[in-house]
Amino acid sequence: MTAIDRQMDAPRAAPRPARNARQRKDTRTAFAFLAPFLILLLVFQYVPLAMMAKNAFMDYSLLNPDAAKFVGMLNFEDMFYFDDARESLAATFLFALIVVLIVIPLGFVLALFLNSTLPARALVRTIIMLPVVTSAVVVATMWNFLLDPSNGLINGVIALFGLPRQPFLTSPNQALIMISVMTAWQQVGFATILFLGGLQGVPKELSEAARIDGATRWQVLWNITVPLLSRTTLFVVVIMTVFSLQAFAPAFLMTDGGPNSSTNLIVYHIYKMAFVMQNAGYASALSLVLLLIVLGISLLQMWLLRAKWNY
Amino acid sequence: MKHVLFAALAGGTALTALPALAQQSECTAEPVTLRILRTPGNYPYPAAIEAWQQEHPCVSFEINEVPFAQLGDTIAVQAASDDPPDILVYDGPNTQSYAKAGILLPVTDYLPEGWDDDILPATKAEHSYEGEVYSPGIEQTTVAMYYNKALTDAAGVTPPQTLDEAWTWPEALEAFKACQQGEAGAPSVWGLGPTRFGNGQPGLVYQDLIYQRSNGDPEADPESTAYKTFWAMAPDGSTVEGYLDTPEAIEALTFYRALFNEEGVAPKVGIPNAFFDGKACFYIDTPAAGSALLKDPVIEWGITPMPYFKSPVVHTGSTTIGVTARSNNPEIAAQFAVDMSWGELAYMNVSQRGNLPTLKSLFDRFPIYQDYPMKVFVDQLEEWGQPRPPSPYFAQYDRVVTDALRSVAFGGDPEEAMQNAEREVARAMRR
Repeated sequence: MTAIDRQMDAPRAAPRPARNARQRKDTRTAFAFLAPFLILLLVFQYVPLAMMAKNAFMDYSLLNPDAAKFVGMLNFEDMFYFDDARESLAATFLFALIVVLIVIPLGFVLALFLNSTLPARALVRTIIMLPVVTSAVVVATMWNFLLDPSNGLINGVIALFGLPRQPFLTSPNQALIMISVMTAWQQVGFATILFLGGLQGVPKELSEAARIDGATRWQVLWNITVPLLSRTTLFVVVIMTVFSLQAFAPAFLMTDGGPNSSTNLIVYHIYKMAFVMQNAGYASALSLVLLLIVLGISLLQMWLLRAKWNY
Repeated sequence: MKHVLFAALAGGTALTALPALAQQSECTAEPVTLRILRTPGNYPYPAAIEAWQQEHPCVSFEINEVPFAQLGDTIAVQAASDDPPDILVYDGPNTQSYAKAGILLPVTDYLPEGWDDDILPATKAEHSYEGEVYSPGIEQTTVAMYYNKALTDAAGVTPPQTLDEAWTWPEALEAFKACQQGEAGAPSVWGLGPTRFGNGQPGLVYQDLIYQRSNGDPEADPESTAYKTFWAMAPDGSTVEGYLDTPEAIEALTFYRALFNEEGVAPKVGIPNAFFDGKACFYIDTPAAGSALLKDPVIEWGITPMPYFKSPVVHTGSTTIGVTARSNNPEIAAQFAVDMSWGELAYMNVSQRGNLPTLKSLFDRFPIYQDYPMKVFVDQLEEWGQPRPPSPYFAQYDRVVTDALRSVAFGGDPEEAMQNAEREVARAMRR
């Protein structure tokens, strides 16, 4: 008896019971309710994504898309042949790293403060949330004035101490750090609120039991709170990393990607390539690579920071 | 609230309604609506449109405006669509880029008799591509150096007022240093104020490429570095290799870098209204600043010709008018664009904005340009004016070279910056 014969003789799975008219109507209704969203998702997310993937293999400009021609892997080869993609990605990763390194510990500490019974919590909550809800343009303009190399407020304070004025946004060595600090300042409130939500979900019994058993506050924090917040931490790290990799406004509004391409963040670089340099094919290829990088980093972070505890 | 809403609605519809209301002749043919994309406050102006509609009663207009900073992006998106605007009012140096991309319609056949003799050569060169004229041009600008007379008098500085006495850049630097008040790099009054263009940072091709160009020589052997320095791009627009990183260019850029760093006489970032608020002795701007100061003289001022190293040069160019190749009404749109830039209608448009005309025959009709100080602009245009390097890749060139000049102004190495710029422009031209 062959394997096929055995398969034919095996008892067949029970047939699915016939769907009655009510069930069919429910299905149609469900599709009717879901259709608008699915159509929008398809038209505005997946179709452009597919077009972008196709355009990554084309050479064309937005001014004359009819003249597009297939160039195979040329746009991807250009990423290795020219320095711009490498430099832009390096600047973006460094930017994301600085932002995450500032936002995560600071957001956590501020969340601990807001979760405590210390005074002035409402005031602090307002102060740290204001930048989150303020327009990126307003924030960028304000920081531009603060960081003015000649007459900025920060240089004014530096000069009061007799120290040399700093070039800040006009220095290739300082500009990226400055826009990272600005972005972290703007985002820390959001991270704090996420951490606060996580803290308020940690069962109080665990810390109370630990305190009764003689654990210090620090031991409770380090051995109970931090581990139990690992899911929240994972979420905040992923969100902040993805936000940072997609940052556009600081480079667009404050530095034009300079000086010397030191703040040429990848999304701004993609915009510049498509709309200014009229190299939309290359911009699409960069977008595709960025998509894969963001996906890869998110998956890696989720694997590295996977939760060992549930509550 | 109701009044505010009503006012907003009325204002919003005024742009389209106003020309239509002005139609007095009776329309006996198929009505046509021409769509215009322009920057806020730019031409064609209502008076000129209304005058034109007297002869074309069937044509009405729908005007859309976007800020100058978004104009290039908007044109890139709209011009290639199936239903583009009929008329574009765009940044003039992009004419060849748009012509090469097939966005613009040639208007050569619509130009009136005598146009060739009347138009400024720099304007015609800028708006022509492969033997066709793509824009008739309406206005022309260039930059000169304004000065605050109270500050220069106090410093004992007397800037020249005619082209033959114009300063060289080292002479100008001495004037900046003499007039500046306070610590170099962070003074209370700057020697040379920041630009009002863009974000106020240095590096713009329009204003700052002339440093290195003026260290070249347009009459030198075409193979020489002096010749290449002056033109800053092959005259046929085919290459920049060897045109930006010449020894003459590096020498000029080393001086340029010193203005913002070692000498500390010019700021690296914008300071809104610095010149008009008395925070800068000298300031480089177009005739627009002079027109504003003539109307409202907030300071005592004068104009001195642009300094130079060896060969005086100023960049020309302004926004200009063109017709989209995909216009649904190409004939009437082309006629409109040409009419707006010729004769009385051109005068109406130019006089309202306060810049210079592109037609030599109109210069006499602008009395403010007959005498000092504004005459400096006319003299410069006629004797020193050059378009920014005309090329189908100007948009890319403009961005790359601006970034390079800015990095030099911020203290970067001129040779490295210009070599990178040449490489990047060559990359754009490869396509």
